[in-house]
This record gives sequence, C-alpha cells and structure tokens, in this order.
Amino acid sequence: MSEGNLIQAKSPSVPEELRDTVTLTSIDHAIDMLGEVLSPVISPVANLARSNSVWPLTFGTSCCAIEMMCVGMSAFDISRFGSEVFRATPRQADMILTAGTITRKMAPALITLYEQMPEPKYVIAMGACTVTGGMFNDSYSVVQGVDRIIPVDVYLPGCPPRPEAILDALLKLQQKIRTENYHERKKRTYNQRAVRYVDYDTGKLVDDLVAEAADLANGVLAPKAEAAGAKIAVPVAKPEAAKVEAKPATTAGAAKPEAAAKPEAAKAEAAKPADAPKPEADKPETKES
Amino acid sequence: MTHDAKPPAAPAAPLEPGQYGQFLKEHGISSERLVDSCGVETIVVAAADLPPALKLLRNSSEVKLDLLITVTGVDNNDTYDSVYHLWSYEHINELVIKVMTKKTDVADGRLPEVPSISNFWSAANWHERETYDLVGIRYTGHPYLRRILNPWDWDGHPLRRDYKQPVDGLNDKNPHSMR
Repeated sequence: MSEGNLIQAKSPSVPEELRDTVTLTSIDHAIDMLGEVLSPVISPVANLARSNSVWPLTFGTSCCAIEMMCVGMSAFDISRFGSEVFRATPRQADMILTAGTITRKMAPALITLYEQMPEPKYVIAMGACTVTGGMFNDSYSVVQGVDRIIPVDVYLPGCPPRPEAILDALLKLQQKIRTENYHERKKRTYNQRAVRYVDYDTGKLVDDLVAEAADLANGVLAPKAEAAGAKIAVPVAKPEAAKVEAKPATTAGAAKPEAAAKPEAAKAEAAKPADAPKPEADKPETKES
Repeated sequence: MTHDAKPPAAPAAPLEPGQYGQFLKEHGISSERLVDSCGVETIVVAAADLPPALKLLRNSSEVKLDLLITVTGVDNNDTYDSVYHLWSYEHINELVIKVMTKKTDVADGRLPEVPSISNFWSAANWHERETYDLVGIRYTGHPYLRRILNPWDWDGHPLRRDYKQPVDGLNDKNPHSMR
C-alpha cells in the first residue's frame, strides 16, 4: 500500500481512515485535478477497461453462493466476460455479489466489506433475500433488502437465480459501467468508515465508547463550552486509554446525568442508514443480567 | 388420521407414571406424566428437582440416559417450558423432560429461572444460550449465559409470543433507504 499512500498524501479528498483502502489513486487524483474537463475523455477509456475486468468478491452467505460458484466453473464460464477472478479480499475486488440472505448480525460485516473495497465499486443484489427480504419477509433477523445498508447497482431476482441470470446481471452492470462518468460518480460517494471496531465485552462500537468516555471526562474536567473542542482531541487510535479514563469519572459521579444524555446525541449525530439498526443504549437485557 | 380429527383430549385422571417416572419415584423425585409425544414418554419435573433427576437418569445402570439430544424452550400460553430430550444408547430409548414455569410466577422485568445442566453435559452450554437468546429462560449457574444467535445488543427474546420487533431502517415498510 505504500505507493498508494505516497500519491494519496497529496490528495486532501481521501479521508484519513481510507488511506489504506483506496488504492486506485493515480486516476483518482488526475480526475480530481482535471475534473469535469478531462473526465469525458478519460472516462470512456477507463470505463472500457473497468467493465471488462470486474473482479467479484468471494462473498456467499447461503444458497445463492452455489450458483455463484457454478457460474465460475467451465459450464457457464464467467471468465468470458472478464470476471473469473474471485478475490478473497475486498481490497482487490471491484464488485460484490451479495449471494445470500443478509441477517442483522451479518449486516455490519457486509458494510465493512463494502467500505473496504476501493472505488469504483459495484454491488449486484443477488437473489430474492437481498432484493427484498424474499421469503424472510417480516423476519426478525433478516435485513429486508440489502439496499437498506449498501447502494445497489443491479437487482437480480430469483431464488436462487440461474447462472445465466448472473451473466445477464453482469452484462447489465458492464453496460452501466461503460456509460458512467467517473467524475460524476465520485461526487456522489458518501463519507465512509472503512473499519468499525466493536468492543468485545459490551458489543458497542468503540467509537461510541470513546465518545462516551470523552463526554465523561469533559463533564468532570472541563466546562461545557469546551466539550466540542476537547472531543476532537481525544486520540481515536487509543480506545483503551480512553476507557481507563472513564472509570474514575464514573466513580466520581458528578456529571452523570449530563454524560448519560450526551452519547445519545452523539449517536443521533452519527446516524446514517447503515447505523439505523442500532437499538437504544438502555436495554432490559443488561438489567436482567 | 384425517385432518378433522381432534387432538386427543387430556384424560381426567392423571396418567400412570411410565418407566422413567416410576424410576424417579423410587428414588424420591416426584414427576408428573404428560401425554406421550410421538410415543416418547414425557414427564414434568420441578425446577429444583431437575439436576438430581438428570444425574440419576444419566448415571444409573438400569436407565443410562447418557445422551442429551437437545435443550429447547417453548413459550406456551401460560407457561415457559424448558424441554430436554434424553437418549439412551444402551437401551435405545428416549425421554422428554419438561420444566414448566408459570408466567404468573415470573415478576415483571425478570426472566423465568431454571437450573443449568451445562456442568453435566457440556453440550447443553450452547443450547441453553440459544434458549436464553430466543425464548428468554435464565439458566442459573450457567458459566457464560450470553446471546449466541442474535447480536449482543438485541432487545427482547424473538420467539416469545409477546415479542414485537421495533420498526427500524432494516425492516420498515416504506424505507428511506439508499434505493
């Protein structure tokens, strides 16, 4: 990744968390610089190359994965269209075929995988489960359509779809890639966090815990006005230190009601569609146990 | 059996104890027999009697129910059942044990409590975690009673009759999603 970082170091548009993730930077940088002027010239060439080498991610959560394997074998042979290289890591993949049911427990992993893929990246929602929830409609544990957590380019219904249908979806995706303008696409991408660390003991996001600890520390040490500034200064890379800080703050108990209110606000602030399933912080389960 | 045939009505008199009920009675553990489930003897024991009963059934040579097939939970209309299926390799025989907790006996905000058997059969460890996760039965003495299937921050127990899932971005009917 070092050569990618060299180029990225000059590019301010790549956020810090994605420095390791975005590898296709030279074209990125050129298109950023020359933007709308050169994009109509560069895009057709780049798109032609991209559309004929769409490398899928090896991702299968249920029966659709069998069809996905089948389409890679010689009978259907997806390599005729340049997509035979199923990559085992999202860093090298261009496209993710969400082959199979996505449960609520799997959803954070899928989002992480998606965000770890370098731009440009594409999603084919494969099978009834990932298009609408399918036969798991109204199930308590299944995400009712993968487009609720990641953006989808091509919908591929079927339960599971035939391998020919996968080829058809791939051809549709190639058409889409050939006609797109990369500069326009880049403007639409949203701010992503490549990796979410989850605390093993509480199951909460480490980011939330850090924010909570920062709020607690600020409530005791600093007046309210400085809270916003001090919150940024907390080192995100050291959640352990922040957690240790939090402990004496809780024992002091001086600013408890204020601190309890703040994580909720921080959570609401950070809420985006991907974070929507996160339940409330106070849950009866912890009370029982 | 035709479709309109009614299920057999519960007999007025209590059933005679079967082979295993008799065995437990001889060893001083009272049990109540239910209607056989698929030809398998089904008994109800009190929660406090469960560990000694299982110890007896597993260790005595004449019974030797040495395999725990499964631990499950049922939310009946008025009780929470914890159900144990035992199997004997030696005698090729099966037994179903139920521990019923009345819903009226469970205080608000508490879970029905049943003693854990994961120190007899370590296979029961995950089964009890699953039952706790989905039906919400607390197994006292379990070494690590924590959700196993659902995410750890899940609210409620999904297989209960009164479970209502909150509507959120992943299951609402008119989503403001990334479509």
